[in-house]
Amino acid sequence: MNTNNEKIYFDAIVVGAGLAGSAAAMVMARGGLNVALIERGQKAGGKNYFGGAIYTHAIREVLPDFMERRPPFERPVTEAGFWMLSKDGSLARMTVQGGKLDVEPADAYTASRAVFDAWWTEQAQQAGALLIPKTTVVDFIRDSAGQVIGVTTDRAQGDVYAPVVIVCEGVNNLLTQKLGLIDHDLEPAHMALAFKQVIALPMDTINARFGLPDEKHGVAASVLGDVSMGLPGMGFVYTNKTSVSVGLGLMLDVAVEYRLKPYEVLQRYLRHPVIAPLIKGGQLLEYGAHLIPEGGYHDMPKLYTGGAMVAGDAASMVNALHWEGTNMAIVAGKLAAETALEAHQRGDFSAQTLSHYEARLKEGFILKDMKQYRNFAHFLEMHPNFMQAYPEFINEALEQFFSAYGQPKKRLFRNMLGSLTSRRQLFRAMGDMVSMGRAVMGW
Amino acid sequence: MKTGDAFSIKELLPELQESLPDVYVDDLLVSLKYFIDEAQAHLKIKDHAVCARCQYKPCIDFCPVSVYTLAHDGRIHIAYQACVECGSCRVGCPYKNIEWTLPRGGFGVAYKFG
Repeated sequence: MNTNNEKIYFDAIVVGAGLAGSAAAMVMARGGLNVALIERGQKAGGKNYFGGAIYTHAIREVLPDFMERRPPFERPVTEAGFWMLSKDGSLARMTVQGGKLDVEPADAYTASRAVFDAWWTEQAQQAGALLIPKTTVVDFIRDSAGQVIGVTTDRAQGDVYAPVVIVCEGVNNLLTQKLGLIDHDLEPAHMALAFKQVIALPMDTINARFGLPDEKHGVAASVLGDVSMGLPGMGFVYTNKTSVSVGLGLMLDVAVEYRLKPYEVLQRYLRHPVIAPLIKGGQLLEYGAHLIPEGGYHDMPKLYTGGAMVAGDAASMVNALHWEGTNMAIVAGKLAAETALEAHQRGDFSAQTLSHYEARLKEGFILKDMKQYRNFAHFLEMHPNFMQAYPEFINEALEQFFSAYGQPKKRLFRNMLGSLTSRRQLFRAMGDMVSMGRAVMGW
Repeated sequence: MKTGDAFSIKELLPELQESLPDVYVDDLLVSLKYFIDEAQAHLKIKDHAVCARCQYKPCIDFCPVSVYTLAHDGRIHIAYQACVECGSCRVGCPYKNIEWTLPRGGFGVAYKFG
């Protein structure tokens, strides 16, 4: 840090010490830059809430020796998949477990973000980045040509200068809008309002209830069917070491239009005959809520301007179907950082140079996946019942298949078909499958 | 979602509505840690006349921590101290009538688990 005429200068500023921001700070600090990592919370992670997993492929890209640094993961995800709940309390599971999921380090781990993000940020500090907590960035400083040359914060004499700023502000994209990279708030129909409870249970109880041999095994499930009351939404269950994380996401427009109280919808879910026994006797550790930007590719802002780039949730880097987002944030933070390093080498921080950030994103999985799934959000908007009707059908069809009612089997398949057609006309169901396929394949 | 005066609500089927249990949200809020900014509210109503015109006032319901309540005088009261800064009201208010800013640095919700 240099002070000149009482101005505070860094080589680079990162806004937000989340997964993207601390990855960016780590990579730039390691590359020799003086980095200010500005975080509005008391500590990194204190504003973050997720129902989810951290992916090691992304961690490894930034921090190859991460396992030696003892990351505070909860459990590895050794079983992952879909649970489909019926109204009468039956459960159909479509999960995968063991095999490639049961290796160390695992592909994915559950985590507490308040704990994990603090560790992740410590790695950036150890690399040399300066964490400035309890400081909210409110705007940008620009030169006469409009190029970003710093940020203003809510502290007295709180202007901080740097030739490049990486904005990792999260889903509420106030600063990204101020940069002019997107000219509107995201639509409620493109955001999931997710809320959950973290519920404490003894380790052995969790192992027994989820069929896990020990705390080195864990479950991540997306829960469909009788969860979101026939409205677009999805539940989830994640096991931690001594707690479970249980919640659901509803599309925000639905929560608004139906005037749903999220805590009531959550309580209804927690009382479902499949979920209730899993959390029985548990103590509430924490309730919380967060928005997820699920609009996909079409909702992504422009990713750079002169002197600034944007990464993570602020850039709608979420693949809702595959639960991915944490990994995109980390990798995008790294790619923005590499672009900042390149800009320093050239001594050129113009939009022209920072456009290489987008080129880097296109080379890897992030923009390829975002583009391929670009119509998925629209598909779900057009098929609001998709997450309930089909899971309930699968549940009912399996229940019929594996029950002996003493009826001729000829009737069985007619009944199974009836389970489907009572929910969706056959040709519409086939149309749904085609649309779904197109949305996933990106045709 | 339609906005402004064109905003309208949808109704759940009665049996679904009845399947929703009553929840006392304070029982959930006690699990949360906050650093409360007593000096400054980070949420404000832009124009109370707009709220008065808003027929359905969905913010009272969809806010996940029930920051918005209807006061005795018929105005919307904001318990900003309970806010978890999710941003639902910022984009969900049909009239975009909430002046939504982040709390000053260090203030607001401080998740312990997340």
